[in-house]
Parts: sequence; C-alpha cells; structure tokens
Amino acid sequence: MNTQLHEYTRNQQSSLANYVRTGTLNNVEGLTENRVHYYRKLVHNVLNDSLQSAFPITYDLLEEDEWYDLVEKFFRYHDCQSNEIWKMPYEFYQFTISNENNLIMKYPHLNDLLLLEWTEIEVYMMENKPPHKFNIEGDLLNDVLVLNPEFNIIKLKYPVHIKGSREINKDDLGNYFVLIYREPKTFRVQFVNLSVYFAWLIARLLEESKPLIDIYEAAEETFRVDKSILEKNSYQFITDMINNKFILGFKNDNNSK
Amino acid sequence: MDNGNKHIGIGFRKDFAEEFLEKKILKPVFVEVAPENWMGIGGYWKNIFDKVAEQYPVYMHGLSLSIGSPDPIDWNFLRKVKNFLKTYDIKIYSEHLSYAKCDNAHLYDLLPVPFRWDAVHHVSKRIREVQDFLERKIAIENVSYYTPVAAEMTEAEFINAVVAEADCNLLLDVNNIYVNAFNHKYNAEKFLDQLPLDRVEYIHMAGHEQVEPDLIIDTHGEPIIIPVYELFEYTVNKLPKNVPVLLERDFNIPELAELQHEMSLMENICRRAWNHEYAVA
Ligand SMILES: [Fe+2]
Repeated sequence: MNTQLHEYTRNQQSSLANYVRTGTLNNVEGLTENRVHYYRKLVHNVLNDSLQSAFPITYDLLEEDEWYDLVEKFFRYHDCQSNEIWKMPYEFYQFTISNENNLIMKYPHLNDLLLLEWTEIEVYMMENKPPHKFNIEGDLLNDVLVLNPEFNIIKLKYPVHIKGSREINKDDLGNYFVLIYREPKTFRVQFVNLSVYFAWLIARLLEESKPLIDIYEAAEETFRVDKSILEKNSYQFITDMINNKFILGFKNDNNSK
Repeated sequence: MDNGNKHIGIGFRKDFAEEFLEKKILKPVFVEVAPENWMGIGGYWKNIFDKVAEQYPVYMHGLSLSIGSPDPIDWNFLRKVKNFLKTYDIKIYSEHLSYAKCDNAHLYDLLPVPFRWDAVHHVSKRIREVQDFLERKIAIENVSYYTPVAAEMTEAEFINAVVAEADCNLLLDVNNIYVNAFNHKYNAEKFLDQLPLDRVEYIHMAGHEQVEPDLIIDTHGEPIIIPVYELFEYTVNKLPKNVPVLLERDFNIPELAELQHEMSLMENICRRAWNHEYAVA
C-alpha cells in the first residue's frame, strides 16, 4: 500500500499551518472561513502567555506594540524547535538578539535582560545534578571546596540584575557577572552579583579541583594583589556562599572512602 | 462516595499541585500528565512530580508528537518518552489525531488533519511505527476541530479507518464529540455509534466555551455541562468494557471541591452503567 502523503494533502496542511503563523490564508479547501481565525487566536494566546510569564520584566519594559510585534514576528519567521513549550522562550531570546537591531538600539540592555530572565528559568528547571561527595566540616583554606552544580554564570554589559530596567542607561555599560544557582531542598533560584575577581575565583574552583590556598596564590599573580589581602577580602564571600548553599562543603579524607 | 471512586482520574496541573498533595480534596484513581511538561526537568517540579507518581498511577497524554503531520516523526523526542514511560511505569500513553508541527515548526496547538485516504495511510503507518518503537499500543484521541480541511470522508470514517489500519487504541474524548457535533451539525449519539467502541481504552471529559451562536471552543476552562454528562452516560452504556475516565481542566481552575464534585458525578454514571462489577464483588 502506498502510505505516502499526497502533495495536495501536504500542501493543505502546510497552508493551514502557515495561516496560523502568518495570518495569510492560501486556498485551503472546504474551510469555514469565519472560524479558522480561532486557531490563530488560540495559538497566539498560548504563545503570548508563555512568553509573558517567561519574560515579565522585558514585557514590562517594551511598549505594548513593540511586544506584540515581536511575538508576532517571532512566530511568523522563526521555526520553533522545542517540543516543550517551557523551552520555547530560549528560542525567542535567540531570535530577538539576532534579528531585532532596532529594538536593541532603543533598549541597549535588552539582550542582557532576556538572557537574565531566560537563565532564571533554565536554572529553575534544569535536571538534577548530584554534587560531588562532600563533608560539611572542613578546612576553608586547605580542603577543596565542593560547589552546588546546579548553577550558571552569565556575563552582562548592563546591570539588569541589580537595577530597574527603566533606570538603566548608557553610563551603566560595563562588565557584570551574575551567579544564578538553585538552592538544594528549597529549589529557589538565587542571584549573586559577582565582581570580576569572584567570577574568576569560582571559575578556578570549578576547573581545577584545588584548595583556596593554591587559588589565592594564582590570584596574587593575576590580579597583582597580595594574597593575604585577597584571602581577607574573600573570607566574607566564601562564608556567605557556604551559608547560602552555593558552596556545599569540603572534599576531604572523611568522605573519600 | 468519594472513597468509592474506581474509574475517574484528573489531569494534573501545576496550578493546583501543592493543594492537591496537601489537602487530598481530590481523590482520583490516577493522574494524567503531558510528557512535554514533566520530562527532562529537575528541581521543584521534579520533586512534586515524584511525590505524585509515588501516590498515584500516572497516565501520559502527549501534546507534540504530531502524529498527523507531514513532517517526519521526532524519534529523539520519542526515545525520551520511552524512557519516561519505563521510569514511572506508565500504563497508558495517548496522543491526538491531529498535527502540532508543520514545515519544521512547532505550533503549540492541535490542527485538524484532512479527512482523506492518503492521510489515513500516512497517519496509520506512523502510529504503527511509534507502537513498534515503544513496544506497546498507544491510544489516539479524537480531537475537536473548528473547520474541516479538504475532507473526502466523514470524521467517523476517518477515525475508524485510522484505528483499524494502525491497530491502535482509541482515546474517546466525549466532550470533543459533543463540540464537533454542535459545530458541524451532526448527531452526537449517532456519531458515537459509528465509532469502534471495542477499541476504547480511555475516556476524556471536559468543559468548553460557546463563543458564537453556532460555535463552541474546546477550552477545558469551564465545568462540564449536562448534555456532555448525558452523552457520557450514553457512551459508557455502549462500551463493551470498563475504562478509566479523565477529568480535564486546564484553565480557570475552580475550588478543588468543585472538581471533585464533577469527578463524583462521573463515577456515579460509571457505576450505574457498569454495576455488574459490584454485583460480582
Ligand atoms: Fe481530551
């Protein structure tokens, strides 16, 4: 039996899908024309609701027309690849930063805002990652620290994580790092503004399974600051990160059995 | 009466997840979820899902397989579905007789497949392939549709042909039959009589919204209306075997007691129709 879909049927399906995405209706046979618009409306509601709840601050920042135009264009020109609708906002973010130069001119921090809002979702939803075995007792300086693996660090040009999106202007342009992680047990997403030094420090902790004492040594060379000063200045940050469950504990003999 | 529920499940929603777990107002015999919302996640919702899955049998009702699409089947996605079905020991996996992806783009809605012979063969072949891959039968749901597209047969003929050729089960959505009968002006009971009722594995019930004098939209956002309960009673009396029944409520979620009341009404109907179960017991 020939199980191939005929070109005609395929085109009919494609025309209907195209209408839903673009609003342009190309001869679909037997269509009830005064009803077909409900499909378009339903799809747009689903898409718009899901994008608004993913990007509440962006939605608030943009003029209403700008937002609806953007959603409309996204659906028309972008072929959504996510089966899961909660992942679709990532595609919206990618689409916007690659195609919306005018909006980005008007809102120079739009990229950063979309990235921040998406990363919150990504970290909140990410699959569980078991951390390395750790002890809660240990030596801050000489033991290797175990980090909570459920996190992301993003680099921003504008401080959208600490300043209202309407107050940000060109003078805020700089280098900002944000640590976004998921607390174990409560599953809450936390945001931590990181200085360049602390961003560097976390990267070292991740890459090189080394204790802080070695990392301060390397920091001394990189930042040309005395390591005793670095150690002193890092103490509060490291203790905060322990208390706030980004640093979970210590890799030491007691648990390496 | 609540404790006597033997057939009715609920579509599990994030909107009422906490209350559902804490207060036990709803007493379903199973819950239904969409794999797209619960697969491949961690953190808070995974934790909730695991709690639910510990306490209730889970059925799965997919949104994005797009079995009626001209596009190729997404085997990668289906591989994840297969794992999920295994991990949570899910007994029923159903999907819609419609398409939700076309020209390589997901649409996040269910569009009607043209009721045509080539579409019957195409869809049936795909259902068979999916069933082979999953090593189980799946149930295919009759969907509501607001306009026909290039039809060369009736909806009932289309459903019959697909179920026969694909050798799959049928997920009978009673509300969708009511909605389609109203929108396309046919008799719901006669329509039901034409369906392969011996293939029904599972039933959906839901509310809808009338948006025009001659048009109902299948919103799952309102209580079930009496004529749909009546059609449900008609249906369960015709079925050759007892099947699980789901209450779908996706929007406009009321007090859970209200949902429980709807579930109780349905359970009562099932009991009346299937009371031989109790006579033997
Ligand atoms: Fe349904």
